[in-house]
Amino acid sequence: MGKKLGTYVCSGCGIGAAVDVEKLSAAASPRGGVVRRSAAFCLEDAQLIAADVEQGVDSVVVAACSGRVNRDVFRFPAAFVERVNLREQVAWSHPPNHDETQALAEDYLQMGIVRAQKASPPSPYTEANERTVLVVGGGAAGITAALSAARSGAPVVLVEKETALGGYARRLHRQYPTRPPYAALEETDVAAKIREVQSLPSVGVMLGSRVVSVSGQPGNFTVTIAGEGSASAEITVGAIVLATGWRPEPTDKYERYGLGLHKNVVTSMDLEAMAARGAITRPSDGRPANRVAFLLCDGQGDDAHLPYGGNVTSLVALKQALYVRQRTEASAYIFYGDMQTPGQHEYFYRSVQTDPGVMLSQGQVRGLSEERDGSLVLEVSDTLMGGDIRLVVDLVVLSTGMVPSTVESEGALGLQYLQGQNLPTTKFGFADSHFICFPYETRRTGIYSAGTVRQAMDLTMAERDGRAAALKAIQSIEKSSAGQAVHPRVGDLSYPGFFMQKCTSCGRCTQECPFGALELNEKKNPVLNTNRCRRCGICMGACPVQIISFNDYSVDMLSSMIKAVEIPEDDEDKPRILVFACENDAYPALDMAGIQRLQYPASVRVIPVRCLGSVNSILIADAVSRGFDGVALLGCRPGEDYQCHFIRGSELIETRMENVRETLGRLALEPERVQVMEVAISEADRLPALLTQFVDVIKAVGPNPMKGF
Amino acid sequence: MATLIEPDLGFKRAIIGLDAHDLTACYQCGTCSAVCPISSAGNPFPRKEMVWVQWGLKDRALGNASIWMCHQCGTCNSYCPRDAQPANVMAALRDYSIGHYAVPRFMGRALNDPKYLPLLFGIPAVIFLAILGWLGHLTSLPEGRIVFSKFLPIMAIEVTFTLAIGLSMIGAVMGGVRYWRAMSAQSGSNGHDPRQHVIATVFDILRHRKFRECNEEPAGTRKTYKGHLHATHLLIFYGFLGLVATTTSVGVGIYAFGYLTPWPFWHPVKILGNVSGAAVIIALCVFLWRRIADSTRAGKSTYSDWLFLTILLLTTLTGFFSQWVRLADLRTLAYPMYFVHLLFIFFLLVYIPYSKFAHLVYRTVAMLWSASTRTEPALRRG
Repeated sequence: MGKKLGTYVCSGCGIGAAVDVEKLSAAASPRGGVVRRSAAFCLEDAQLIAADVEQGVDSVVVAACSGRVNRDVFRFPAAFVERVNLREQVAWSHPPNHDETQALAEDYLQMGIVRAQKASPPSPYTEANERTVLVVGGGAAGITAALSAARSGAPVVLVEKETALGGYARRLHRQYPTRPPYAALEETDVAAKIREVQSLPSVGVMLGSRVVSVSGQPGNFTVTIAGEGSASAEITVGAIVLATGWRPEPTDKYERYGLGLHKNVVTSMDLEAMAARGAITRPSDGRPANRVAFLLCDGQGDDAHLPYGGNVTSLVALKQALYVRQRTEASAYIFYGDMQTPGQHEYFYRSVQTDPGVMLSQGQVRGLSEERDGSLVLEVSDTLMGGDIRLVVDLVVLSTGMVPSTVESEGALGLQYLQGQNLPTTKFGFADSHFICFPYETRRTGIYSAGTVRQAMDLTMAERDGRAAALKAIQSIEKSSAGQAVHPRVGDLSYPGFFMQKCTSCGRCTQECPFGALELNEKKNPVLNTNRCRRCGICMGACPVQIISFNDYSVDMLSSMIKAVEIPEDDEDKPRILVFACENDAYPALDMAGIQRLQYPASVRVIPVRCLGSVNSILIADAVSRGFDGVALLGCRPGEDYQCHFIRGSELIETRMENVRETLGRLALEPERVQVMEVAISEADRLPALLTQFVDVIKAVGPNPMKGF
Repeated sequence: MATLIEPDLGFKRAIIGLDAHDLTACYQCGTCSAVCPISSAGNPFPRKEMVWVQWGLKDRALGNASIWMCHQCGTCNSYCPRDAQPANVMAALRDYSIGHYAVPRFMGRALNDPKYLPLLFGIPAVIFLAILGWLGHLTSLPEGRIVFSKFLPIMAIEVTFTLAIGLSMIGAVMGGVRYWRAMSAQSGSNGHDPRQHVIATVFDILRHRKFRECNEEPAGTRKTYKGHLHATHLLIFYGFLGLVATTTSVGVGIYAFGYLTPWPFWHPVKILGNVSGAAVIIALCVFLWRRIADSTRAGKSTYSDWLFLTILLLTTLTGFFSQWVRLADLRTLAYPMYFVHLLFIFFLLVYIPYSKFAHLVYRTVAMLWSASTRTEPALRRG
């Protein structure tokens, strides 16, 4: 199957002023097929390309602006489109009319042409079309998610382990204000929502039930649900919203506060129940509690304090102080480490403050003892009142921590995934991936988290979460049925293919996949669940025998691009540096550097990659044996506070560097020639210095002795 | 050992009721202490007093020298980000203190409640009316040239005032002692010997040294109230002392030299009296004007503030009026005016320990305490 190429060299936006476009076009033939030039291909001249595609050109090389812009202009569904970035990364970031700038442009054009020669448009996988949304957990977040999905037209199954819906939300006596003037406590809307969700015909509510196993993929999950005593049911769903909520931290953590030891020490959930029943009283003798202390237990070094903090405890204490203040002679004392009342909640805080019977102070409770009559004596240090104080109270209310249910088996979905039954969680056990960039997304595609299983939060936030996760679930179903990837490569139709004859069944791809997309069949060969795949290419980077490829992204393509670069020999002033740049952060940062007209060495040759994790170590070996003097890998921050869009990519490249160093050693090359660098999307200003320093290091090490071999 | 605190909601409500209702808004940022001229690192005034009042810690809030070292410059009010009006809270605490330490307690209450006003005027009225009745002046005014001592003999006035002021001085001393003891109880130390600091403290008062330092402390860019305070108070202070000196001179003149009143208008003592009276009136007008025109920065004005300023003003004015109607020879007006003047003098002087005038007792005690302990406000400028 011969490919028919078209190469379109644009001279607009300063490209023509910086490079010799005529010479460039000449260099494109004959490999580039039909070569055309324009002062602005993004305007009417886009028609020229469309006409060529109509005439049978199936691979289009647009040598113009960055592939991150004008995507819709240069979209020709019948052809593979390769964008060569002559604007941001050549004309705007290097000296004009310089032989190195010209060489850079020519290399980029050749790299684009060889990639276009090898790539083809993908054919999407569209086999999984189930549209039902499964919501696990019938608390505030779950009910809201079910309602939201049902209102959007999706059939919904709502599974709740208790025999009634509502979870903790139902047990709240009141909620703190959600509306101006943020002063009066409000009734929750949980009861109304429960009624509504039960009345909707498109929502199947399964009470007293648990999800025991989940297999399959987005658009086609097979879920086994076990009822209390009854036989289990198997259903097919398209996507899952996990809203299994929170559990209070175990009581024994609060022994130093007397929880479980003294009757008049209760938790905030106990107080909700008390308020719902009527008066706030002392459990020891039923007498009215006139002096009630709220301890937020959020001090530094407090072993009851969870490593993550939130505003929930602060706001709940303020709310419950108002329960206490139903009786005018009662006082509420709140001791906090941090009073956190962000946003509009500040108005609520101010409003509670105006009540003289609510007394607030920073303070750490160092001791608690019981009097003979059941009263409690608190010893508090670090107060604002000066010196340590003692205080006699009738009732102590502890803000016990909210632990996500994912830390226990309850939150587990019984995933029939090779990588394990449990949902991977962030460091505190929350079912989430990157809380800023991808809220609601777990590391299992098609499973979205909502509510306190994701982050300690209040009722209003949990409801917002429910709505958001429902939308994510629906989006996942829509995308899956069209064979498209979900976030972050939304709409990508490609997926990895496996050249199975050469597979050694090492299983590394199945282990390194951040999303557990790959299973092993009985012959220990990898099997892809296409809709679980986020198309990052980490498997491609992992495979030791390079059998994993996408239609438009493969080791072979990247290797050919590396080989397309002209390496000047015997010129110490013209080193060549290969840069693999993560397309999510580093590559946009390089574009941004161009937009800001920041200059960096023209000796770099940048290849955008889906994720640093998709860089197979053989490519680095290829680059150095080809004569590149150095290789830089620009990726995101790995580790606990990772910024990698695919969670583990930048972490994996670190482990692959072991191999690379070994290769370098075998070739008798200096280890400094290959370096991994962290670049965030906002760090364009750092790039020139970073790359210049690297070029200096390479110059100091000297030219690659492999040149010319 | 941690000290036991007993939050007293009633006390908190009482302070709020003394026109300090914004105190609940305080969130302890400490801006007030940063701008307050008498605050120091070890004594974050008035931040700590704010939290004490918020927690109803009555003993701590009242047994504390700082509230009386404060001269109400109002800088904290200008800078408070929450408009908690710390200066108003301090003024309310002083107000409350006067009633709290008052001996007898009842008098403290009476001076803070308008419903007792008739009683407070009734006491001197009954005394003087009784004397007048006994002299027969209730039915017929003395004939001839207007001479006030013919109406109410100097001796009768001297005896009445000496007795009444004597009693009230006992009350003042007891109040001061109670305040001192409260401070000792709070700071946990006893046996401070204030005697060696008395002279220095008196000189401080005469020079208004603390007042001046409060005034001079640069706070920042915001407008504050304090600009005129030092000068105005100096004026009223020496004006009042001038009036006291006039009265004393007259007494000495009568008893030591038999130099009977009325003295001629050009007499130096007369001139001193008139000039002093004018000084007091001018200063009072400034104080009243500031309170009315700029209530935010001047701080709150409660019943006891208005009462004190009004009584002082009316005392001085009735003194002038009495003189003028005497010189104008308006007999039927002069004697009643003099009577009213005496009532106001009685009110002003005899009720000193219970009215806002009690600041001369408590502020002096606080200054003595500070001087002898050195724990309370060491001025930052040293």
